[in-house]
Amino acid sequence: MGWSSMSRTLGIIGVLGFLIAAFTPFVNVLARWQATPGQLEPAEAIVVLGADSAGRDGTLGTTSLRRVIHGIVLHRRGLAPLLVLSGHASPEGRSEAEARADLARVLGVSSDGILTESGARTTREEAERIKELLRPRGVRRILLVTDSPHMMRARGVFERAGFEVLPAPTDESPLLVSRAPEDRLQVLRRILQAYAARFYYRVAGYL
Amino acid sequence: MGTFLLGVIGVTSVGIYILGSRGLGLSGRGLPAAVGKMLECIGTALVFFVLNLAVTMTVIFISRGLGEGLVSLYLAGDVAWLILSLFQAVTFQWWRELSRRGGENAVNRRR
Repeated sequence: MGWSSMSRTLGIIGVLGFLIAAFTPFVNVLARWQATPGQLEPAEAIVVLGADSAGRDGTLGTTSLRRVIHGIVLHRRGLAPLLVLSGHASPEGRSEAEARADLARVLGVSSDGILTESGARTTREEAERIKELLRPRGVRRILLVTDSPHMMRARGVFERAGFEVLPAPTDESPLLVSRAPEDRLQVLRRILQAYAARFYYRVAGYL
Repeated sequence: MGTFLLGVIGVTSVGIYILGSRGLGLSGRGLPAAVGKMLECIGTALVFFVLNLAVTMTVIFISRGLGEGLVSLYLAGDVAWLILSLFQAVTFQWWRELSRRGGENAVNRRR
């Protein structure tokens, strides 16, 4: 098979793949299939994983905000006495964890109930550092807050760190049911990223 | 929303076809070949995309293995890879096309 016919065949596959992903409910079905259902039960701590660094002025990104607000809501519902907020600092800005803690205090969470962790840069490092933070307090059962595609890998490393994990995925139903082509492609990209990261964690022996 | 988008693309495609065939005098028989060239270009872009991702993942794994700072895995998911790969593919396809035409012209001159 020459270059032209091979690239033409790949082109047909690429165009068909794009049309299916963007203009059919395939991605919505895939997203629902791989989503981890929430298990919202009383725990000893709510752990909100980092998403992106806070800006220089402490501004949080959309994913970070969605996660921390979900964590605050669970805390206000009395599901756990401790709210652990993770998120590292960018070189030019303050840490995401601190920006989230400020938001939690403004929304009525007492300072005594908030713990922050800003040294970890990966999910595995978050699990290790949060284990060091919570072990002296005797915490074992946690509600883990992150978005759905990230949950499977995050749950694996936290369980490996010795926690009993109750998944509390952020509600992403607007994205899961969206019929906008751009949203579908974005969801597909995140699912593929999550699978690639899980593959890396397995190869590296973290899972 | 998707149907609307496809509808607009369909209408403008028909408009471009009419403009091309009647206004610019382009041959209608050349259209399937043009679609074929477009597919070749997309296929080439996919090849470059996979190549770029493979190089990126290798660099990430090596840098992590050596402990040389942390390169995020999410870098590999940036949409810019796709667009840059398309630039590479268009350039490569035109390079092949022009080289082939150059070769054909040289043969014709010899005749």
